Amino acid sequence: MKDSSEPILGSDLQQTHGTQNTAEQTMERLIFSLSELEHLGQTLISGYGNFNHSSKTYLRITLGTLQVTRGVILRYHPTGQNLDVVASTPEQVFSPIPIESEEVADLLQLPFIESASPPTTLKEFFIQSAELVETIDIRLWVPLKIQDEFLGIIGLGRFLGRETLEAWEKELLTTLANQISIAIAYSQMVEGIQSEKFRLFMLAESAPQICQLLQPEDAAEQVVLQAVSFLDANAGALMLTSPEQQELELSYAFPEALVETTDLQHNGDRLIIPCGEEAPVVQDASSVEMLKSVVNDGLPGHCLPESDTLFGGKNLMAVPIPGRDGDILGVLVVGDKEERGGRIAPFTDEDVVLLDSFAKQAGVAIENAHLHQEALEARQLQAEMEEARKIQVNLIPDNLPDIPGYEVAGHYEPRGPVGGDYYDCISLPTGRWGLAIADVSGKGMQAALLMATLRAGLISELSRVENGTSEGTEKEVCPATTYAELAEMAMTLNSLLYASGTEEKYATFFYSHLNPETDVLTTLNAGHNPPLLIRKDGTSKWLGEDVGGIPLGMFPNDMVSSIAEYEAEHIELVSGDVVVYYTDGVTETVNVEDEYYEEDRLFEASKACKDGSADAIREHLHDAVMKFQGEADQFDDLTLLILKKK
Amino acid sequence: MNKFDIQIREDGEHAVIETAGYLNDALGEQLAEKARELIQNGYTQLVINLEKTTLINSIGISILIEIIEALHEREGALNFCGLSATQERTFRMMALAKYAGIFPDEETAIANL
Repeated sequence: MKDSSEPILGSDLQQTHGTQNTAEQTMERLIFSLSELEHLGQTLISGYGNFNHSSKTYLRITLGTLQVTRGVILRYHPTGQNLDVVASTPEQVFSPIPIESEEVADLLQLPFIESASPPTTLKEFFIQSAELVETIDIRLWVPLKIQDEFLGIIGLGRFLGRETLEAWEKELLTTLANQISIAIAYSQMVEGIQSEKFRLFMLAESAPQICQLLQPEDAAEQVVLQAVSFLDANAGALMLTSPEQQELELSYAFPEALVETTDLQHNGDRLIIPCGEEAPVVQDASSVEMLKSVVNDGLPGHCLPESDTLFGGKNLMAVPIPGRDGDILGVLVVGDKEERGGRIAPFTDEDVVLLDSFAKQAGVAIENAHLHQEALEARQLQAEMEEARKIQVNLIPDNLPDIPGYEVAGHYEPRGPVGGDYYDCISLPTGRWGLAIADVSGKGMQAALLMATLRAGLISELSRVENGTSEGTEKEVCPATTYAELAEMAMTLNSLLYASGTEEKYATFFYSHLNPETDVLTTLNAGHNPPLLIRKDGTSKWLGEDVGGIPLGMFPNDMVSSIAEYEAEHIELVSGDVVVYYTDGVTETVNVEDEYYEEDRLFEASKACKDGSADAIREHLHDAVMKFQGEADQFDDLTLLILKKK
Repeated sequence: MNKFDIQIREDGEHAVIETAGYLNDALGEQLAEKARELIQNGYTQLVINLEKTTLINSIGISILIEIIEALHEREGALNFCGLSATQERTFRMMALAKYAGIFPDEETAIANL
């Protein structure tokens, strides 16, 4: 195959050069030139209209037609204000040649420029192109233009067998230059159409796709990547607003290194830009201020690289992302629109319209993904609540046992599907009993697990403190008998709960150790509401009121020791005595007038029904609380445990 | 996604160019240069594997068109493989599929050169 850089020369013409030029030879060359002009036309309409590729053919035809052995075609890029060498004979790589707009204006006025006598106004151009002139041996330049638009320039050197072109050859060169100019303009038009076709296709293609993404992270990534792609950008970012629209947080950036270039506020992995009305002004950060105004005004914004500290000084364009309700969900940013040859071009008004249109679709996609995520989380929460409810149901006794000489009755009414209250009546193998009531902070699975941990720890501790071992099972448990042992048990339970939860997870806890043989009730309070003891003779006492420690799991043991150690006490029960255990859901029940039920009403209600059975007392107290509550909402779990000495 | 790389695998009468990263001007020019070198070395049967290139812009497309054109001048052939569904639709819409083959994997693309 023929080397594409080699000039096409008529064989006869090559043989006859060096001899006297005759009219016949001139005619022959003109006929050859006409056929080459046709070749030029075919090149123009064939293929993809890509000038950079076909420029070698144009140069080849030009050199061959004019019998010139060396030449070059340079294409003008107004964005970068330079001339790119797109074809040269001999083939060689040259750096782009910068050219000022004043020089472009001068070139538009000149049909030919001789290298030997360049106009003074083009002095800088000839300095910049000195290497090219020398390497190619360029002697004659012909500007490429259509009307007032400068498109490039052809340089020719080494005219075969002569020092310069004849007049008719220059006319032919002008015709060839016009053809090449048309080819460049055609190429620009085709490139523009292809680019627009690509952008519109990508917009049409990507919008429905991103709307189908269900994960917010995926939607954010695709929104950025698609915008970067169809705007020919080199970077992009999605920043979403906080619910109050006071902050912008980076959701996704391309390339990832983009985030590392900023010295703006970082909070761990999060990049935050305060953007509310009161947001501080960041010095030398035009892009930050631009993003703020996009959020606050809801209008697109531009930002030039100068004085920019965000996104590494890129040429930025940003548009707001509207939500369904008219809120601004965030800002979509693209940076550095590229042109062929690595030049960075400014974003155009059409770019803004295109990105703004895409941002509307992006808003739908982002909201869809977040709604899906919320629905998923709600379903997961529901499933978790159901699991928590099952755990809790298993912790609350279905039926309370018969304690010889005593009656026991309990009532548990959670506010929601899963409550935070717990009560139990644990049978000990020695014939003694452990009665516990607790209120675990929080709701849901964490509360249920904390409750399960408390119950397991309680049973384990009852075994350990009595047997001096933690290996015993429930059946081997002996009753704790001393105050110190109960206090130690409380410390162990505190340590267990503290280690198993967060700071917000704790439990108020009241434990009673009952010996039915001696009717001695040993009690320990860890921050729980003091149970009410009402004697047969009408006297009463709030148990653990003066010796109550702090709730379990709230602080580590060493801190508990320094604040208030757990203390136990005991009472002896006689026939007709009643102990009313309860949680704060009882005393903090609120009526329609925003009054609390409080301990006084509980005391009066208990006193009124103390002579009834444990079941009757439970019913009476529950009814009294419900009557007080009336139409008001229940705000907390409601738990009662009644112990009555027969 | 951000990793930027070109791998060449030459095998007798054909060569495979595998790209990774954003096929924009920068990666596209590297790709074009590699393709030019291969063509100059006599390879006219090329496969471009875009499996690791999930993002292409219009400049990347125009560079691919140039490579197709250069190969056609030498009566060569180009097949693409590893395209995502969107890329394949884009290539068809931009008429690249009219002048180059599109195949799901490298093996099939080579077999159909």
